[in-house]
Amino acid sequence: MSGAAVLAVFRKELQDALRDRRTLLAVLLSAVAVGPLVLALVGMLVGDIERRAEARTVLVAGIERAPTLANYLARQTWEVRPAPAGYEDALRRGRLGEPVLVVPADFESALARGEPPVLEIVHSASDQRAQAGRGRVQALLRGFGQEQAALRLAMRGVAPAALEIVRVEERDLADAAARGAQMARLVPFFVLMAVLYGALNAALDTTAGERERGSLEPLLMTPAPRWAIVLGKWAAVAAVGMLIALLACLSFLPGQWLLRSETMSALFRFGMHEALAFAVLLLPLAGALSALLLAVAIRCRSFKEAQASATIVVMLVSVLPMVTLFNQQGEQRWHLWVPALAQSALMGRVLEGAPLPWADLLPSLAACLLLGALALAYVARVLARSAVR
Amino acid sequence: MIAVDGLRKRFVQGRGRGARVVQALDGLCFEAVDGRITGLLGPNGAGKTTALRIAAGLIAPDGGRVSVDGVDVGSAPRAALARMGVLSDSRGLYPRLTARENIVYYGALHGMDAAQADARARALATMLGMEPLLDRRTEGFSQGERMKTALARALVHDPPNIVLDEPTNGLDVVSTRALRETLRRLRDEAGKCIVFSTHIMQEVERLCDTVVVVSQGRVAAAGTVAELAVQGGGADFEESFVRLAFPEAAR
Repeated sequence: MSGAAVLAVFRKELQDALRDRRTLLAVLLSAVAVGPLVLALVGMLVGDIERRAEARTVLVAGIERAPTLANYLARQTWEVRPAPAGYEDALRRGRLGEPVLVVPADFESALARGEPPVLEIVHSASDQRAQAGRGRVQALLRGFGQEQAALRLAMRGVAPAALEIVRVEERDLADAAARGAQMARLVPFFVLMAVLYGALNAALDTTAGERERGSLEPLLMTPAPRWAIVLGKWAAVAAVGMLIALLACLSFLPGQWLLRSETMSALFRFGMHEALAFAVLLLPLAGALSALLLAVAIRCRSFKEAQASATIVVMLVSVLPMVTLFNQQGEQRWHLWVPALAQSALMGRVLEGAPLPWADLLPSLAACLLLGALALAYVARVLARSAVR
Repeated sequence: MIAVDGLRKRFVQGRGRGARVVQALDGLCFEAVDGRITGLLGPNGAGKTTALRIAAGLIAPDGGRVSVDGVDVGSAPRAALARMGVLSDSRGLYPRLTARENIVYYGALHGMDAAQADARARALATMLGMEPLLDRRTEGFSQGERMKTALARALVHDPPNIVLDEPTNGLDVVSTRALRETLRRLRDEAGKCIVFSTHIMQEVERLCDTVVVVSQGRVAAAGTVAELAVQGGGADFEESFVRLAFPEAAR
């Protein structure tokens, strides 16, 4: 009888929530569509930067004043293009997309005298794309400087190695998957929010909404045990949250095709395997968050009041994953005990292709179970006590 | 049969020094027998709704007890509720569900299977004259349509005892007459024990076999309409009721 009551409540609440088409559509748009969209935009930006990097062109104002430099650039197979008039203004407005190298009038004569001529790299911090090009131009000029210095030393009979006290070489230890994860950090955040927003409306409607409609009192006058009612409601809310989260996970699969850049799509590894791993990680969180939302909303007299209270939960869940960003020490052991933070960290590991040992999964599972159980017990107690308006 | 025995209940309104104690029920006793309609008549705030909420197991009394067909509501609320259909003053329906789904849901909560509940929903719709409503979503129902759906929902498990809290509130004449007719049929054809509370005199005169006049949480008088008219000694039933319910005011 009690099991049947749980099932009856679950089926009704699920049906009710899924018929709320307008709310569902809004949630789908905000939680499911935004992730891939952001991904596609970032992909376009990175693709653009890459294209410029491959182009090997440099904008120079006054190249005719520096034949030596022009010669060097030509030998490095760089194409020199004259800077457009009014480039400063274009840079300020973020329209140019590349820094501009300015050659002084006395370049050649200063070089001949052995004095360092001043080369200006004009860029603007507000032009993100030009910022990326700055490093390349600097490296190019460093090469020119080194060549000139080596020539001068050679003329004086000194070995060029005398200038090179140390040699610096970079070696990036992160493999392709780990580098891709940096960019894919966005994905866990969007998926977390999808769970929350999916569960939010259903949770408020089934508690505060029920009270506001005046249907809570008749419901409590049926012989169905109160824990069965709470359990059925919770299961339905968690199912809706999980459904939205699953859709959000799957939405990143086609999102990958939108990535224009080849390197990006090679780095951003998000396939069926990752989507499934995400879903498994999110399942306990969907349960715990649904229970928490029910607990927050159960005492509220109206939907509006409940929405205000639920804002705290929404804020916590969106801020918690940022702890890893601000914390200089990186991931800590205790992070795995905090719901939302743990899932965000574990999803990050899935994206890096790192293994997920049981020892790391259990704390988050235990924490979610505990939080969920406490919240549900609270909801059942409130229902038992203050059923009446 | 519903037996109410010495119910007492007080509420504390507000907190701290400003707190006010309201004695809602002060030893209320009455008995509603099968095959009769018992009316709880009393002014606003007399304690009718509180008594019916205690009978439905929603709140616990400070003292006294309610039993439904011999089952004590306090110690076995679920068994008591299974023998009772309650239409309280909150009659919220689920707007995104049809009338039929609203009714069948409550059937399931009463432990009925889907076919049983659906058959019962159809039978109740015929009795209440709401067949055309059955497959419409309850969003946008009129007051009368809402009341019919809520009543059908409360009666889905065919309870031998029916409790209604001010059922005619917000209903027009036609709906009120239809409801009265339904209650009479439930009494005569199925021998149900029906208790309903109201503050409307005509309702009681037209419908009730037994009247319990409630005032300040106690029974001020009880009997048939004719007996009460004599007991109150007024020119008509209304006059008698006022004398019985407000002894100080009448003097």
